[in-house]
Amino acid sequence: MTFSWKRVNAILQKDFKDFSRNTAVSIVIFLPIILAAVYGRMGLDSIQAHYMNINMTFAMVGTYVQCCLIAEEKEKNTLRGLMLSPASTLEILGGKSLLTFLLTIIIVFFSAFLSEYKPANITIVAFAIVLSTLFYIGIGTLLGLVAKSVMESSVIVLPVIGIFTVGSFVTAWTEKYPILKVAEFLPNVQLIELAEKVEQGAGFVQVFSNLGIIGIWVVVVFALTVVVYRKRMID
Amino acid sequence: MENAIEVKGLAKYFANFKAIEGVDFHVKKGEIFGFLGPSGSGKTTTIKILTGQLDPTEGEAFVFGENVSHLKNPKARKRFGVLTDNSGLYGRLTIYENLKLYCELYDLPLHKIDEALGFVNLKEESKKKVSTLSKGMTQRVILARAILHEPELLFLDEPTSALDPVNTLHIYEGLRALNKKGTTIFLTTHDMQEADTLCNRVAFLNKGKIRLLDKPSELKKRYADSTLTIELTNDEKIQLRKDAAGAEEMYQLMKENRVVTVHSNEPTLGDIFVKVTGGELI
Repeated sequence: MTFSWKRVNAILQKDFKDFSRNTAVSIVIFLPIILAAVYGRMGLDSIQAHYMNINMTFAMVGTYVQCCLIAEEKEKNTLRGLMLSPASTLEILGGKSLLTFLLTIIIVFFSAFLSEYKPANITIVAFAIVLSTLFYIGIGTLLGLVAKSVMESSVIVLPVIGIFTVGSFVTAWTEKYPILKVAEFLPNVQLIELAEKVEQGAGFVQVFSNLGIIGIWVVVVFALTVVVYRKRMID
Repeated sequence: MENAIEVKGLAKYFANFKAIEGVDFHVKKGEIFGFLGPSGSGKTTTIKILTGQLDPTEGEAFVFGENVSHLKNPKARKRFGVLTDNSGLYGRLTIYENLKLYCELYDLPLHKIDEALGFVNLKEESKKKVSTLSKGMTQRVILARAILHEPELLFLDEPTSALDPVNTLHIYEGLRALNKKGTTIFLTTHDMQEADTLCNRVAFLNKGKIRLLDKPSELKKRYADSTLTIELTNDEKIQLRKDAAGAEEMYQLMKENRVVTVHSNEPTLGDIFVKVTGGELI
């Protein structure tokens, strides 16, 4: 498979111009920042509160925005143009994900700053945030490829946003409903668990299982995305 | 001469619907080949198979000797350009920004944008947002994008369907110039005049099958009526056969100074299509 940074950068630059002129979608990125500022002023400084906001950033920016961008490319037949160009699958998917990746990381950083979240071990948390970002972008890309239109994409993304933003709350009922134990394997729940362990002084070894589970989600989502993308190459 | 396209027994079925069936043809390098037929005859399906956007149900297709299934390889895609009904542009970007993206994807210098815009007569409009363009202008931008990298093979699906006559003639000139430089052109159209003007050879496609394939001039000769239409000084039009008796009669009319015009009754490609398929070109 070929890889040219020039082609990835060309898609990134195009996406930046297109996104900055698409107010209907770009306005969404301010929501987590506003929420973070409110949380910060309210004095909510528990890990659950910080990660409620971080997970919302993942869902709204990483998944929702990415899903809309991909669905629009499909609906307007511009994705077909990219597929017929010399750009490889990796270059197209990489280029199409880079803007959302950068936006997600920047907004997570600002949200954390505004809600005054200071992790005990920045390296582990940063690594987990990057890994989680990849997962949410992957799922956004997958949903965008499955959706027939931008309208449909903004509907099918809602349950995903629900599960991965507030899904962590259902773990409170696992004693009453043991089936809900599966929710403990959600990447957002794993991230919160990791963050809590880090606050208690855990190092990379102690959070390896959390990173591993998030990593498996990333691999599964990206594998599915590539399969669906290749199917979409054929009409 | 080597073939740019070779198609053997190509078929595509969508559930029970046979879009194309038993299609065989080849396109020589440097040729302008016309694929003619009414809407729904299978022209776009064929282009999509030839550009790797659709898998055939049966048969094989080769582009520059490579099976079309290999066109998913990005390097192979550098060799051709495509304009189809599903080619899209970024509406919020300008014409220039749209073409700049493709210049970078094809690793081309940016001056190619000006050349391509000159080709489609849109040099002055390069800063216009694509969403504000008319259908004809949008079609021309897509065509500019398809020829930006001066492909060896150009697939054009109804390239002038949304254009006015002035721009249509401008595009014809450009396509001829591109062809002179060596680009092979595979053109689908239901405009028989367009095919007659541009194509070296044409294939008539109807209900998914090729009914006729030859040079336009040969087809016209083959289906020509062996009569002449003579317009006389008294506004009467008579038909004479192109034989000794007809010549004798013509001699007589000319001697009497009664002939105003003489026309050979050569059929148009449209006439031939209707005769061969029994259908209309819509």
